[in-house]
Amino acid sequence: MCGLDLERLYDEHAEALYAFLLNLTRDEADTRDLLQDIFVKLARAPDLLASARDERAFLIRLAHNAAIDLIRRRGTRAKTRDQFAAEIISPFAPASDPDEQTFRATLAEALAELPADQRAVVHLKLWEGLTFEQIADALDIPLNTAASRYRYGLDKLRERLRPLYEEL
Amino acid sequence: MKPDDFEHKLQRQPLKAIPAEWRGEILTAADEVGTARRAVRGRLGEASLPNWFSTLNAQLSTLLWPHPKAWAGLAAIWILILAVNFSMRDQSQVLAEKSSPPSPEVIVELRQQQRLLAELIGPRDTSDADRSKPLVPPPRSERAEMVAV
Repeated sequence: MCGLDLERLYDEHAEALYAFLLNLTRDEADTRDLLQDIFVKLARAPDLLASARDERAFLIRLAHNAAIDLIRRRGTRAKTRDQFAAEIISPFAPASDPDEQTFRATLAEALAELPADQRAVVHLKLWEGLTFEQIADALDIPLNTAASRYRYGLDKLRERLRPLYEEL
Repeated sequence: MKPDDFEHKLQRQPLKAIPAEWRGEILTAADEVGTARRAVRGRLGEASLPNWFSTLNAQLSTLLWPHPKAWAGLAAIWILILAVNFSMRDQSQVLAEKSSPPSPEVIVELRQQQRLLAELIGPRDTSDADRSKPLVPPPRSERAEMVAV
Protein backbone atom coordinates (compact mmCIF):
# COMPACT_ATOMS: atom_id res chain seq x y z
CA MET A 1 0.00 0.00 0.00
CA CYS A 2 2.32 2.71 -1.36
CA GLY A 3 4.73 2.55 1.61
CA LEU A 4 2.02 3.85 3.93
CA ASP A 5 0.00 1.36 5.92
CA LEU A 6 -3.44 2.79 5.33
CA GLU A 7 -5.15 -0.18 6.96
CA ARG A 8 -3.26 0.39 10.19
CA LEU A 9 -3.98 4.11 10.04
CA TYR A 10 -7.65 3.40 9.51
CA ASP A 11 -7.85 0.90 12.35
CA GLU A 12 -6.06 3.21 14.76
CA HIS A 13 -7.63 6.56 13.91
CA ALA A 14 -10.81 6.23 11.84
CA GLU A 15 -13.09 5.74 14.85
CA ALA A 16 -11.90 8.96 16.49
CA LEU A 17 -11.93 10.89 13.23
CA TYR A 18 -15.46 9.67 12.53
CA ALA A 19 -16.78 10.91 15.88
CA PHE A 20 -14.95 14.22 15.53
CA LEU A 21 -16.19 14.79 11.98
CA LEU A 22 -19.73 13.73 12.83
CA ASN A 23 -19.77 16.16 15.75
CA LEU A 24 -18.64 18.96 13.45
CA THR A 25 -20.70 18.22 10.33
CA ARG A 26 -23.75 16.55 11.93
CA ASP A 27 -24.21 14.67 8.69
CA GLU A 28 -23.35 11.00 8.10
CA ALA A 29 -22.86 11.39 4.34
CA ASP A 30 -20.59 14.43 4.74
CA THR A 31 -18.63 12.63 7.43
CA ARG A 32 -18.10 9.64 5.16
CA ASP A 33 -17.01 11.85 2.26
CA LEU A 34 -14.56 13.77 4.43
CA LEU A 35 -13.13 10.62 5.96
CA GLN A 36 -12.65 9.13 2.51
CA ASP A 37 -11.06 12.37 1.29
CA ILE A 38 -8.54 12.19 4.13
CA PHE A 39 -7.49 8.63 3.29
CA VAL A 40 -7.40 9.35 -0.44
CA LYS A 41 -5.20 12.35 0.30
CA LEU A 42 -2.86 10.15 2.34
CA ALA A 43 -2.73 7.55 -0.46
CA ARG A 44 -1.98 10.25 -3.01
CA ALA A 45 0.75 11.88 -0.91
CA PRO A 46 2.19 9.27 1.49
CA ASP A 47 4.95 11.70 2.52
CA LEU A 48 2.36 13.89 4.23
CA LEU A 49 2.64 11.88 7.42
CA ALA A 50 6.42 11.55 7.29
CA SER A 51 7.07 14.89 8.95
CA ALA A 52 4.22 14.60 11.47
CA ARG A 53 5.32 14.29 15.09
CA ASP A 54 1.97 12.90 16.18
CA GLU A 55 -0.15 10.96 13.68
CA ARG A 56 -3.40 11.50 15.55
CA ALA A 57 -2.85 15.24 15.91
CA PHE A 58 -1.95 15.50 12.23
CA LEU A 59 -5.03 13.56 11.13
CA ILE A 60 -7.25 15.62 13.43
CA ARG A 61 -5.88 18.75 11.85
CA LEU A 62 -6.64 17.37 8.38
CA ALA A 63 -10.14 16.42 9.49
CA HIS A 64 -10.76 19.78 11.15
CA ASN A 65 -9.62 21.75 8.11
CA ALA A 66 -11.73 19.59 5.81
CA ALA A 67 -14.80 19.98 8.04
CA ILE A 68 -14.40 23.75 8.36
CA ASP A 69 -14.03 24.01 4.57
CA LEU A 70 -17.20 21.98 4.13
CA ILE A 71 -19.13 24.04 6.68
CA ARG A 72 -18.09 27.24 4.89
CA ARG A 73 -19.03 25.77 1.51
CA ARG A 74 -22.43 24.72 2.77
CA GLY A 75 -23.09 28.33 3.77
CA THR A 76 -26.38 29.82 4.77
CA ARG A 77 -28.52 27.34 2.80
CA ALA A 78 -27.28 24.49 4.94
CA LYS A 79 -27.57 26.56 8.11
CA THR A 80 -31.22 27.15 7.34
CA ARG A 81 -31.68 23.46 6.61
CA ASP A 82 -30.00 22.58 9.90
CA GLN A 83 -32.18 24.99 11.83
CA PHE A 84 -35.34 23.38 10.51
CA ALA A 85 -34.10 19.83 10.62
CA ALA A 86 -36.57 17.63 12.47
CA GLU A 87 -33.86 15.37 13.87
CA ILE A 88 -30.38 16.34 14.99
CA ILE A 89 -27.78 13.74 14.08
CA SER A 90 -26.24 12.73 17.38
CA PRO A 91 -22.58 11.78 17.69
CA PHE A 92 -23.48 9.62 20.70
CA ALA A 93 -24.41 5.97 20.85
CA PRO A 94 -28.08 5.31 21.71
CA ALA A 95 -28.81 4.50 25.36
CA SER A 96 -31.22 1.91 26.66
CA ASP A 97 -32.13 4.00 29.71
CA PRO A 98 -34.69 6.69 28.73
CA ASP A 99 -33.17 9.31 31.05
CA GLU A 100 -29.72 8.71 29.67
CA GLN A 101 -31.13 8.84 26.15
CA THR A 102 -32.76 12.19 26.89
CA PHE A 103 -29.52 13.49 28.35
CA ARG A 104 -27.56 12.38 25.28
CA ALA A 105 -30.07 13.86 22.90
CA THR A 106 -30.03 17.16 24.77
CA LEU A 107 -26.25 17.10 24.90
CA ALA A 108 -26.18 16.53 21.13
CA GLU A 109 -28.49 19.52 20.64
CA ALA A 110 -26.44 21.68 22.97
CA LEU A 111 -23.25 20.74 21.17
CA ALA A 112 -24.88 21.53 17.82
CA GLU A 113 -25.65 25.03 19.11
CA LEU A 114 -22.00 25.72 19.87
CA PRO A 115 -19.89 27.45 17.25
CA ALA A 116 -17.81 24.92 15.30
CA ASP A 117 -14.54 26.24 16.80
CA GLN A 118 -15.77 25.72 20.38
CA ARG A 119 -17.34 22.39 19.49
CA ALA A 120 -14.07 21.11 18.06
CA VAL A 121 -12.13 22.03 21.20
CA VAL A 122 -14.79 20.62 23.54
CA HIS A 123 -14.88 17.38 21.57
CA LEU A 124 -11.11 16.94 21.56
CA LYS A 125 -10.82 17.74 25.27
CA LEU A 126 -13.71 15.62 26.50
CA TRP A 127 -13.83 12.66 24.13
CA GLU A 128 -10.28 12.51 22.80
CA GLY A 129 -8.71 13.34 26.14
CA LEU A 130 -6.20 15.74 24.57
CA THR A 131 -4.44 18.40 26.60
CA PHE A 132 -4.87 22.06 25.66
CA GLU A 133 -1.35 21.98 24.26
CA GLN A 134 -2.20 19.04 22.01
CA ILE A 135 -5.46 20.69 20.95
CA ALA A 136 -3.66 23.93 20.17
CA ASP A 137 -1.14 21.97 18.12
CA ALA A 138 -3.77 19.95 16.28
CA LEU A 139 -6.02 22.91 15.46
CA ASP A 140 -3.12 25.33 14.93
CA ILE A 141 -4.41 27.85 17.46
CA PRO A 142 -2.78 29.49 20.50
CA LEU A 143 -2.92 27.60 23.78
CA ASN A 144 -4.96 30.33 25.50
CA THR A 145 -7.46 30.31 22.66
CA ALA A 146 -7.93 26.58 23.04
CA ALA A 147 -8.45 26.96 26.79
CA SER A 148 -10.89 29.85 26.46
CA ARG A 149 -12.91 28.13 23.73
CA TYR A 150 -13.22 25.10 25.96
CA ARG A 151 -14.31 27.19 28.95
CA TYR A 152 -16.95 29.10 26.96
CA GLY A 153 -18.22 25.92 25.33
CA LEU A 154 -18.39 24.02 28.59
CA ASP A 155 -20.20 26.88 30.33
CA LYS A 156 -22.86 26.87 27.62
CA LEU A 157 -23.27 23.10 27.87
CA ARG A 158 -23.49 23.29 31.64
CA GLU A 159 -26.11 25.98 31.47
CA ARG A 160 -28.15 24.05 28.94
CA LEU A 161 -27.86 20.67 30.69
CA ARG A 162 -28.07 21.79 34.31
CA PRO A 163 -31.70 20.73 34.91
CA LEU A 164 -31.16 17.30 33.38
CA TYR A 165 -27.83 16.78 35.11
CA GLU A 166 -29.29 17.65 38.51
CA GLU A 167 -32.13 15.22 37.92
CA LEU A 168 -29.70 12.42 37.10
CA MET B 1 -22.48 20.99 41.00
CA LYS B 2 -18.73 20.58 40.71
CA PRO B 3 -17.31 21.36 37.28
CA ASP B 4 -15.25 18.18 37.36
CA ASP B 5 -18.32 16.03 37.92
CA PHE B 6 -20.05 17.60 34.99
CA GLU B 7 -17.02 17.10 32.76
CA HIS B 8 -16.74 13.49 33.88
CA LYS B 9 -20.42 12.96 33.16
CA LEU B 10 -19.92 14.27 29.61
CA GLN B 11 -16.77 12.21 29.12
CA ARG B 12 -18.68 9.06 30.01
CA GLN B 13 -21.12 9.50 27.14
CA PRO B 14 -20.14 6.88 24.56
CA LEU B 15 -19.65 8.08 21.01
CA LYS B 16 -21.30 6.44 18.03
CA ALA B 17 -19.23 3.71 16.36
CA ILE B 18 -18.10 4.08 12.79
CA PRO B 19 -20.15 1.92 10.38
CA ALA B 20 -18.18 -1.26 9.72
CA GLU B 21 -18.83 -1.27 5.98
CA TRP B 22 -17.02 2.06 5.56
CA ARG B 23 -13.65 0.44 6.19
CA GLY B 24 -13.66 -1.58 2.98
CA GLU B 25 -15.14 1.21 0.89
CA ILE B 26 -12.78 3.92 2.09
CA LEU B 27 -9.65 1.76 1.94
CA THR B 28 -10.57 0.51 -1.53
CA ALA B 29 -11.02 4.07 -2.77
CA ALA B 30 -7.72 5.12 -1.21
CA ASP B 31 -5.94 2.06 -2.58
CA GLU B 32 -7.19 2.75 -6.10
CA VAL B 33 -5.79 6.27 -5.93
CA GLY B 34 -2.50 4.96 -4.53
CA THR B 35 -2.22 2.31 -7.25
CA ALA B 36 -2.97 4.84 -9.99
CA ARG B 37 -0.39 7.21 -8.53
CA ARG B 38 2.28 4.49 -8.45
CA ALA B 39 1.45 3.45 -12.00
CA VAL B 40 1.79 7.04 -13.27
CA ARG B 41 5.06 7.53 -11.37
CA GLY B 42 6.38 4.21 -12.67
CA ARG B 43 5.57 5.13 -16.25
CA LEU B 44 7.10 8.56 -15.85
CA GLY B 45 10.21 7.10 -14.23
CA GLU B 46 10.69 4.44 -16.92
CA ALA B 47 10.13 6.90 -19.70
CA SER B 48 12.15 9.83 -18.45
CA LEU B 49 15.45 8.21 -17.37
CA PRO B 50 16.20 6.25 -20.58
CA ASN B 51 15.18 9.28 -22.61
CA TRP B 52 17.65 11.44 -20.78
CA PHE B 53 20.50 8.96 -21.16
CA SER B 54 19.73 8.22 -24.81
CA THR B 55 19.66 11.95 -25.61
CA LEU B 56 23.04 12.49 -23.96
CA ASN B 57 24.50 9.42 -25.67
CA ALA B 58 23.20 10.46 -29.08
CA GLN B 59 24.61 13.96 -28.75
CA LEU B 60 28.03 12.72 -27.62
CA SER B 61 28.10 10.14 -30.44
CA THR B 62 27.28 12.81 -32.99
CA LEU B 63 30.10 14.94 -31.65
CA LEU B 64 32.77 12.24 -31.36
CA TRP B 65 31.81 9.75 -34.03
CA PRO B 66 33.63 11.28 -37.10
CA HIS B 67 37.17 10.88 -35.62
CA PRO B 68 37.05 9.11 -32.27
CA LYS B 69 40.81 8.28 -32.37
CA ALA B 70 41.71 11.90 -33.05
CA TRP B 71 39.60 13.04 -30.07
CA ALA B 72 41.21 10.41 -27.87
CA GLY B 73 44.70 11.48 -29.00
CA LEU B 74 43.91 15.13 -28.30
CA ALA B 75 42.64 14.26 -24.85
CA ALA B 76 45.82 12.24 -24.17
CA ILE B 77 48.04 15.15 -25.23
CA TRP B 78 46.15 17.50 -22.92
CA ILE B 79 46.53 15.07 -20.04
CA LEU B 80 50.30 14.81 -20.74
CA ILE B 81 50.67 18.60 -20.84
CA LEU B 82 48.82 18.97 -17.55
CA ALA B 83 50.91 16.23 -15.95
CA VAL B 84 54.19 17.84 -17.05
CA ASN B 85 52.99 21.24 -15.89
CA PHE B 86 52.07 19.94 -12.48
CA SER B 87 55.31 18.02 -12.05
CA MET B 88 57.46 21.07 -12.98
CA ARG B 89 55.56 23.39 -10.71
CA ASP B 90 55.98 20.96 -7.86
CA GLN B 91 59.76 20.69 -8.41
CA SER B 92 60.33 24.48 -8.47
CA GLN B 93 58.35 24.85 -5.27
CA VAL B 94 60.38 22.10 -3.61
CA LEU B 95 63.70 23.66 -4.74
CA ALA B 96 62.70 27.07 -3.46
CA GLU B 97 61.71 25.60 -0.15
CA LYS B 98 64.86 23.54 0.15
CA SER B 99 67.40 26.29 -0.77
CA SER B 100 68.96 28.04 2.24
CA PRO B 101 69.23 31.86 2.49
CA PRO B 102 72.59 33.38 1.23
CA SER B 103 75.33 33.79 3.79
CA PRO B 104 76.65 37.32 4.78
CA GLU B 105 79.94 36.62 2.93
CA VAL B 106 78.09 35.99 -0.30
CA ILE B 107 76.10 39.20 0.14
CA VAL B 108 79.30 41.22 0.76
CA GLU B 109 80.90 39.63 -2.33
CA LEU B 110 77.88 40.52 -4.46
CA ARG B 111 77.96 44.16 -3.29
CA GLN B 112 81.67 44.44 -4.11
CA GLN B 113 81.03 43.11 -7.59
CA GLN B 114 78.22 45.64 -8.06
CA ARG B 115 80.53 48.48 -6.98
CA LEU B 116 83.28 47.35 -9.36
CA LEU B 117 80.80 47.15 -12.19
CA ALA B 118 79.62 50.68 -11.43
CA GLU B 119 83.24 52.02 -11.48
CA LEU B 120 83.97 50.30 -14.78
CA ILE B 121 80.83 51.65 -16.46
CA GLY B 122 81.27 55.14 -14.95
CA PRO B 123 78.58 57.57 -13.74
CA ARG B 124 75.47 57.91 -15.91
CA ASP B 125 75.53 61.30 -17.64
CA THR B 126 72.08 62.55 -18.31
CA SER B 127 71.48 65.63 -20.47
CA ASP B 128 69.76 68.75 -19.14
CA ALA B 129 66.87 68.21 -21.49
CA ASP B 130 66.26 64.72 -20.06
CA ARG B 131 66.23 65.95 -16.52
CA SER B 132 62.78 66.46 -15.21
CA LYS B 133 62.09 69.95 -14.00
CA PRO B 134 61.10 70.40 -10.39
CA LEU B 135 57.42 71.04 -9.92
CA VAL B 136 57.92 74.10 -7.76
CA PRO B 137 55.54 76.93 -8.72
CA PRO B 138 57.24 80.24 -9.64
CA PRO B 139 56.90 83.24 -7.33
CA ARG B 140 53.65 85.21 -7.57
CA SER B 141 55.42 88.29 -9.08
CA GLU B 142 56.87 86.21 -11.97
CA ARG B 143 53.45 84.65 -12.64
CA ALA B 144 51.95 88.15 -12.98
CA GLU B 145 54.65 89.09 -15.55
CA MET B 146 53.99 85.94 -17.53
CA VAL B 147 50.28 86.80 -17.76
CA ALA B 148 51.10 90.38 -18.88
CA VAL B 149 53.37 89.10 -21.70
